Amino acid sequence: MATLNINGQTMDIGEIDPSTPLLWVLRDELGLVGTKYGCGIAQCGACTVHLDGAPVRSCQIPVGNLSSQQITTIEGLAAADGTLTPVQEAWVELDVPQCGYCQAGQIMSATALLRSNANPSDADIDAAMSGNICRCATYTRIRQAIKNAAAKMNGTAFYDAAGAGETA
Amino acid sequence: MKFIKNDHLSPELPGFFDDLVATPKTDIGMPEVSRREFFKISGVAGGGLVLGLAMGSSPKAKAQAASSDDVSTLSPYVQIQPNGRINIFSKNPECGQGIKTGLPLIIAEELDCAWETVDVVQAEIDATRYGAQFAGGSMSTPMNWMAMRQAGATARAMILAAAAQQLNIPVSELSTSDTMVVHATSGRQWGYGEFAELAATMPVPAPDSLTLKTRDQFKLLGRRFTGVDNNDIVTGKPLFGADTRLDGMLFATYTKCPQIGGKALSFNEDHIKSMPGVVDAFIIDQFGNPKMFNPGGGDIFSGVAVVARSTWAAIKAKRELDVEWDLSDAETASWNDLVEKAYALQGQDGEPLTMQVGPPGNRNTVAASKGDADSVMANAATKLSAFYEYPYVSHAQLEPETCTAKVENGNVEIWAPAQIPQSGETGSAVLLGIPAEEAAERVVLHQTRIGGGFGRKLANDFVFEVVAIANRMQGTPILLQWTREDDMSGDYFRPGGFHSYSAGLDGAGNLVAWQDHFITSTGNDQGPMTSADLNPNVFPMDVTDNVKLSQTMFHNAIPTGPMRAPSSNAFAFTFQSFMHELAVASGKGHVNFLLDTLGDPRLANPENPGSMHTGRAADVITEVARLSGYEQESNQPGRAKGLSFYFCHSGYVAQVADVSVTANKEVKVHKVWAVADFGFIHNLSAAENQMEGGIIDGLSQLFNAKITFENGVIQQQNFHQYPLLRMPQSPELEVAFLEPEEFSPTGAGEPSMPPLLAAVANAIFNATGERVRKMPLYESGYKLV
Repeated sequence: MATLNINGQTMDIGEIDPSTPLLWVLRDELGLVGTKYGCGIAQCGACTVHLDGAPVRSCQIPVGNLSSQQITTIEGLAAADGTLTPVQEAWVELDVPQCGYCQAGQIMSATALLRSNANPSDADIDAAMSGNICRCATYTRIRQAIKNAAAKMNGTAFYDAAGAGETA
Repeated sequence: MKFIKNDHLSPELPGFFDDLVATPKTDIGMPEVSRREFFKISGVAGGGLVLGLAMGSSPKAKAQAASSDDVSTLSPYVQIQPNGRINIFSKNPECGQGIKTGLPLIIAEELDCAWETVDVVQAEIDATRYGAQFAGGSMSTPMNWMAMRQAGATARAMILAAAAQQLNIPVSELSTSDTMVVHATSGRQWGYGEFAELAATMPVPAPDSLTLKTRDQFKLLGRRFTGVDNNDIVTGKPLFGADTRLDGMLFATYTKCPQIGGKALSFNEDHIKSMPGVVDAFIIDQFGNPKMFNPGGGDIFSGVAVVARSTWAAIKAKRELDVEWDLSDAETASWNDLVEKAYALQGQDGEPLTMQVGPPGNRNTVAASKGDADSVMANAATKLSAFYEYPYVSHAQLEPETCTAKVENGNVEIWAPAQIPQSGETGSAVLLGIPAEEAAERVVLHQTRIGGGFGRKLANDFVFEVVAIANRMQGTPILLQWTREDDMSGDYFRPGGFHSYSAGLDGAGNLVAWQDHFITSTGNDQGPMTSADLNPNVFPMDVTDNVKLSQTMFHNAIPTGPMRAPSSNAFAFTFQSFMHELAVASGKGHVNFLLDTLGDPRLANPENPGSMHTGRAADVITEVARLSGYEQESNQPGRAKGLSFYFCHSGYVAQVADVSVTANKEVKVHKVWAVADFGFIHNLSAAENQMEGGIIDGLSQLFNAKITFENGVIQQQNFHQYPLLRMPQSPELEVAFLEPEEFSPTGAGEPSMPPLLAAVANAIFNATGERVRKMPLYESGYKLV
């Protein structure tokens, strides 16, 4: 019986077709529906999860290719008590989501970026986020939210051009 | 040739709906407010004061409501619980426009609540209780603005009355603030919850006895508020259609003929059914005429359903399907043929265009032309002609169509991300032969958050498909998942079209005559396909005395439907690019030419309160020119600004784009300035979000979006063939709102996008001297970087 390491837990996935993409194992077998299907061909990034900390497109990873890797999904970011990560917090405060469907993937890409680069430039952000489509086109706010999250994590002043401080 | 309204839309929709989905016109008055009546509702969990509204549109519901406290006939809007928490019910579908947060905010303002004491509850779909519940036409805010304010004010008045009685203090000495009743004289204050039980016994005040706040008294409205679902979105909670999970549910795919309208005759059934995880596979027959956009008809294309234990098993089997199709009713149109036939008509007139005016059911057919464009044009000092083209495009919302349904004992339960969920119920009843009078009882639809709509999910074809599949799988909940390929090749597309324009200027450079021969498509050889019609109220035709409109329709039933800012999403490019051509010819400068064309401040059509107000139009143009420094610095070769204005869905938007263009046509959009007048902005964050998204959506469409078809087969399948704009191409944005005191809020979702198209095209002309008259720009060699 196969198992996966997801969000710090060993999860039993039973007897499963090894060609099944991780995306559908998460959604259909494990009930982790925060990871989204958008295109199935690694064009949109809605299905982004972390594999040993690196952002990957879960629609392209047959579950049979996985063994002991640590998988993190959007459900695994916040603390057990619900405390959000600085990236999630920045997303909420800046009111980034419109429809919200792509945002799990955006947050996973942004989280991985900030883990490897505490002070990303605009070019760094462009490079890290260009695999994630937002059809509602919240790119302006995603960029600012990444900068705000970086500032939070670095303990520096909370730069806030878009006026998130006024939000309730 | 007739200009036919989309009267095939389902009858239960509000009367204005055909207008709002078909055209950008806005002759929709504000809803009647003087006779709104609120009622108390008892027996709601949590207790306290619950106020509901008897729908004005349903005399029966109103009569029932007046005679009883029966919960079933009333729509709860606000509940003040004894524990001090306020529940506010949000009735319309949320597809990213922010309405789930926006409508409750309006109630909270007049109730004088602290937003932190409010819990927003998504209302059930129920036409008899809530009236029309839909997301479309940028109508949610204007249609509900006054009713939501009155709901909040009514509840506040009842809390105050209860407090006065309970405290034995004259009501005149009491006031409210932040969910507290305040006695200023004594400095004491109490939470609303303390009076909730008594308030529930108080008489409901008449609407005309209420004093609504003035704009300067607003504490919440006008500020930025974040979406109430944000926390759930960033933590991956189940919110969306495909997140529905039910005991014993199975997963399905549905495969239709690549040549649109083909019918499944047979398929490799034995092989498919032998595949691992596949539970069943079967053909479903066509129902109705699904080539035509009809949200409430139950129409579906024929296809092959695969039902499996997982989405992946259903997708794998779908890939191995080998289907024999009957192509006798399949479409045979090819886009390139239409293009060739359209260009052959350049400079010629089509059939005179007519339009229907008057109330529904009593409409008269009149000529859409006015004045004497032919003779004025003949005498014009300057004459210009141009031919414009735009393609079919796909909505490409990021959530592919998905829906869950269970059919059992003649009853249907549906979980749907639908923009007109009530039509999903109606059409499901039609599809299954459930009599209309039993539909309310037997068909129940639960709305989920919509992972992007843009008009695609105004159609309910994906709802009807899963209902048909679930009907074959009695008792088993079925989740239908479309693939991206299903979505992109199975859209109700924004239709492509062509405009052959001529216009005349007098000796002073003033616009005096306008001619448009509009070339479009028809599926029934009577009227244009949905969203493929010409609206004679487009600026500048609405303010020009001599206008001649004609039309040619090619037979082509590739399915079309409304997409964000229907028809405006194309006309804003063609009309406002040609306006810039005329402005250049006039020698006056673009801003002056637009302002002179608009003329004195007035309604363009004094008899239509929804028509464009020229003064509001002039104000956004003037302000965006000031903000961006448009025309205050000379454009340089290779770098320039372009401006455009458009009016639709009651919204006034002017935008300026600053672009550079290299010798090999790489275009960088450095910055876009937008100035909008949507009346009062009640949630600044949501309005800014819509404007920011609209601008970038516009860039994506302008440069890259094109769907083509050959012999009825759509040629694009996924994002590698239909690129959407990504973060590196996203420009700096600056957004400002004019909020004239005398105008109520109107919607932001749709009018935010259209002006961008011509603003950038005009900037490219200013930078290069080349006029691009065809979308998308990549076909003219331009690349957005």
